[in-house]
Amino acid sequence: LAAAAEPPVPEDLLPDVVPPLEKLEAALRGLEVGTPPETLLWNGPEDGA
Amino acid sequence: VTIQEIGAALRARKTSVRELTEETLRRVADANPRLNAFITVIDAAARARAMALDDELARGIDRGPLHGIPIAHKDNIFTRGVRTTGGSKIFADFVPDYDATIVSQLNDAGTNVIGKTGLHEFAYGITSNNPHFGAIRNPWDPERVPGGSSGGSAAAVAGRLVPLATGSDTGGSIRIPASFCGVVGLKPTYERISRIGVMPLGLTLDHAGLLAGTVRDVALAFSLIAKHSSGYVPSPRADLRGMRIGVPENFFVERIAPEVMLSFRAAVQTAAALGAHVTEIKLPDGEALNVVGRIAQLSEVSALLARYLDRRSEIGRDILVLLEQGRLIPAIDYLNAQRVRTVLARDFSKIWKHLDCLMTPATPMTAPKIGEMSVAFGSFNEDVRTAATRLTRPFNVLGWPALALPCGFSNAGMPIGLQVVGPPQQEDTLLQAGAAFEDAFGIVGRRPALS
Repeated sequence: LAAAAEPPVPEDLLPDVVPPLEKLEAALRGLEVGTPPETLLWNGPEDGA
Repeated sequence: VTIQEIGAALRARKTSVRELTEETLRRVADANPRLNAFITVIDAAARARAMALDDELARGIDRGPLHGIPIAHKDNIFTRGVRTTGGSKIFADFVPDYDATIVSQLNDAGTNVIGKTGLHEFAYGITSNNPHFGAIRNPWDPERVPGGSSGGSAAAVAGRLVPLATGSDTGGSIRIPASFCGVVGLKPTYERISRIGVMPLGLTLDHAGLLAGTVRDVALAFSLIAKHSSGYVPSPRADLRGMRIGVPENFFVERIAPEVMLSFRAAVQTAAALGAHVTEIKLPDGEALNVVGRIAQLSEVSALLARYLDRRSEIGRDILVLLEQGRLIPAIDYLNAQRVRTVLARDFSKIWKHLDCLMTPATPMTAPKIGEMSVAFGSFNEDVRTAATRLTRPFNVLGWPALALPCGFSNAGMPIGLQVVGPPQQEDTLLQAGAAFEDAFGIVGRRPALS
């Protein structure tokens, strides 16, 4: 994906760009499980409980 | 000297706006070569405005408690006719043709703009170690960062250069520098203070806010600019009697430097001693908030700034890394992060059935040294940016108001910050609690070496 990006991600940045991002996206994968399909995008804080 | 004290001196004719402005400009000229808190100082405009504000007072026109009060605006906040760099080389010569709403509101309230304060490049970082405008230095120790991204605003207030400054906060950018510099910083409820004219960074995470030397000074300014303001300013004897305060027993008290934890525990004891009902509470997954917040921020910032990647040589390496990461996040992940955010917000909001506010440390550590890349918590090493934002970012994700104020000092003499968090729109509760803490801590008068 990094190589296919336009413009491509410079090679000297890849070690700092890719591993932390992969870790972050893996963490998101774990959170997505169990999200009800009808859940909408966050749209600001709701007042009160 | 507080804003209220300055106001009293002005109205008693013990000083004038002109004298106040001259004194402020003298202090800035003296300290800025050491602190680098300001990118731009507008001496001539400030002097002209001071004369006009004095003339108004002489004619019986009093704009209220901020009349004549010197103020500095973070340099990502539009000021008509005054360059607004965003801490970026790309915008180094950008001059807005209108004032941000927060600036025009504070102008109408009588503040006198002294200049524009430095920040982390694009407000996208927490050190304020800016490759284009130089490192901003912490008034308590010039070898240490002031925090960021509103580092110049915090350093200017901590260094006693101005009593009030504006800031913006996308992942902690008001509260982190407030914590590191020993000043008060308020990130209000999402959208409670207008963002019009504040350079956007993270569209669903950005907040405009305030930094000042005391909680009451923040409250005074907030009461004049907040949407649906109640006008509340804490009384001289604010108390915590009957307030239901939650103290997290997970996440927000994990991986905290021992000195910070000691001060935090002392603050919790102070709350109980002041009559609050203090309850330990297990919160939902705080780390999950940071995961979705980082995904959202990376995507949103790159959506705005990736267009400048054809000018790489004019952008700092740390920013380039973040912009590249944001470019690589699929839309599916961004959207699902925002959906998970909805679920988390629903879970977290349940705590307000039983609580009025939460207390947490503002940052897990005191200000790191300039150039330090990681911080150790026991045997665990953490990236400085991740650590500094760990306790603040969750409340950008939730959009809840959060107040940072000093609650102690480390053995090295660096300030330690407390964070008080409330439900949406309940800034008044935070300000009441903050004022009571401030009175009890009794550390407001302590001055840094470089003030």
